[in-house]
Amino acid sequence: MVTASISLREVGRTFGATRALAGVDLDLKPGVTGLLGPNGAGKTTLLRLLATALPPTQGQVRVLGLDPAAPAERTGIRRQLGYQPQEVGFPRGFTAFAFVDYIALLKEWTQPAARHAEVRRVLDLVGLSGLGAKRIRAMSGGQRRRVALAQALLGSPPVLILDEPTTGVDPEQRVTLRTVLAELARTSVVVLSTHQTEDVAALCERVIVLDRGRVRYDGPVTDLTGQAAGRVWLADEPDPAASVSWRTGTGRYRNVGARVRDGVEHVEPSLEDAYLLLRGGSPEHEPTEEVAS
Amino acid sequence: MTGWHLDDDTLRRYVERVDSLAEGASAEQHLLSCEQCRARVSAAAGVIDLAAVWDRTRDTVEVPRPSVFERLLRVAGLPGHEARLVAVASAFRGVWLVGAAAVLAFAALAAVAGHARGLWLFLAVAPVVPCLVVASSYDPWLDPALEPELVTPYPALRLILLRTIAVLALALPAVLLLGLVIPGEAPFAWLLPAVGFVAVVLAASTWVSPLRAAIAVSSFWLALVWLLAALSGSPGAMLQSRAQAGFLALAAASLAIFLVRRRRLHQVRPWR
Repeated sequence: MVTASISLREVGRTFGATRALAGVDLDLKPGVTGLLGPNGAGKTTLLRLLATALPPTQGQVRVLGLDPAAPAERTGIRRQLGYQPQEVGFPRGFTAFAFVDYIALLKEWTQPAARHAEVRRVLDLVGLSGLGAKRIRAMSGGQRRRVALAQALLGSPPVLILDEPTTGVDPEQRVTLRTVLAELARTSVVVLSTHQTEDVAALCERVIVLDRGRVRYDGPVTDLTGQAAGRVWLADEPDPAASVSWRTGTGRYRNVGARVRDGVEHVEPSLEDAYLLLRGGSPEHEPTEEVAS
Repeated sequence: MTGWHLDDDTLRRYVERVDSLAEGASAEQHLLSCEQCRARVSAAAGVIDLAAVWDRTRDTVEVPRPSVFERLLRVAGLPGHEARLVAVASAFRGVWLVGAAAVLAFAALAAVAGHARGLWLFLAVAPVVPCLVVASSYDPWLDPALEPELVTPYPALRLILLRTIAVLALALPAVLLLGLVIPGEAPFAWLLPAVGFVAVVLAASTWVSPLRAAIAVSSFWLALVWLLAALSGSPGAMLQSRAQAGFLALAAASLAIFLVRRRRLHQVRPWR
């Protein structure tokens, strides 16, 4: 039996009166795990908690067998961790190389030649070779995200926590990114949150859907997609029997319904269909309204 | 085709780039017309590690050059990587340092010019500048890359103390220089209050954000100096050894509180 690299038991986190996470039980092993969920579902809180940036208010977290609540063990975790927060501010005047080099120093890369080689390696990995000397303030949003990702990749860490790494990144770079993460995930636990279901479908073996701080689904991506089989169909008009309908590029309507529908033109469900279906089953949400907005 | 060839020594010096400019130019001129010597150069140069050459080229272009402050820290004996960690704080770059120096210089100028309130102004401003610079060197609001920094193994406490020492290392030569131009002993009176306020900010940042602590300390000090100036004609009260001993005691007590509560630094507050 493979030992879980990260485990959470009955983990909860509150901010004042607001409950961000409640009763989360997870075991994460090497591979890429995708976190899906609407805004405010608790994705960022969960990732910050895994990255030792935030302690839980209840429950137990173990990362690589270490307890982040104990200072010495927390440092031990941080030596084996890469973390890309959702928002990274960059100090004024820094170039891409200078910023990643600075984080490398904080990650105890004290030997200059080895550190510079590692900084070059991660900048190359995220497609920023040749842009190391460019000031970050002069970079596009997608390039800045890649700088933030590059610092997380320093030292090919056994635990990699990425909060929306693909936001603002162009399609070609997303493909490159998928390749990089897939390679790293052979030995590392990679957890990423995203709003792009296609990224999860392309990259993750496992998906966790969070909603209002609770785990709504945890399992293989293919199983989640399979749940939508027979529940997605095309029609010339929005179908009242569907939970969600939207007009596609061909002018026809794609309908996703809670019940299996007969006598209609079924299509292969995507992960997005399954995700919408899952959220449509939640009494607290009205997905049709959210999709329409 | 020429009638002579480069001797082995000249060839070696050319390949290793240890020849003189004239000798190198002469060898190069000969190589342009001598196929045989060109072949010998290729053999002598061996296999060139192009990847290493490219890395060195990228280093030249990409690796940031150390600032004057960083070089000073290295000269003072700080290891290269720690000098960089100290110097990259926004408080030690460009506009911040220039601003702090300008405020101090203005206050010193007012004191030198002999303006009635000049010395008071200097004594009001000088002690709070170091604590404001210390606070801004690790305040989350001013160091926006905080979260990636926060989850690295480098101890936040060490970073904060290093930056604090760097501020004081900058301030000490400044006070010595200013002391030479301002008449009397008053210019030195700000040193112990400054050290005390830095220690208070460190201790207070285990409860609140460092910048808030520094602003509170500064406001308190400005109000106190204003009150003293209103009540007394000269800053003699601050020069008394009792007052100076008080600032020293304040520094010691604050430092003790800081060390006891160091795990509760505002920067690492989530794990309080």
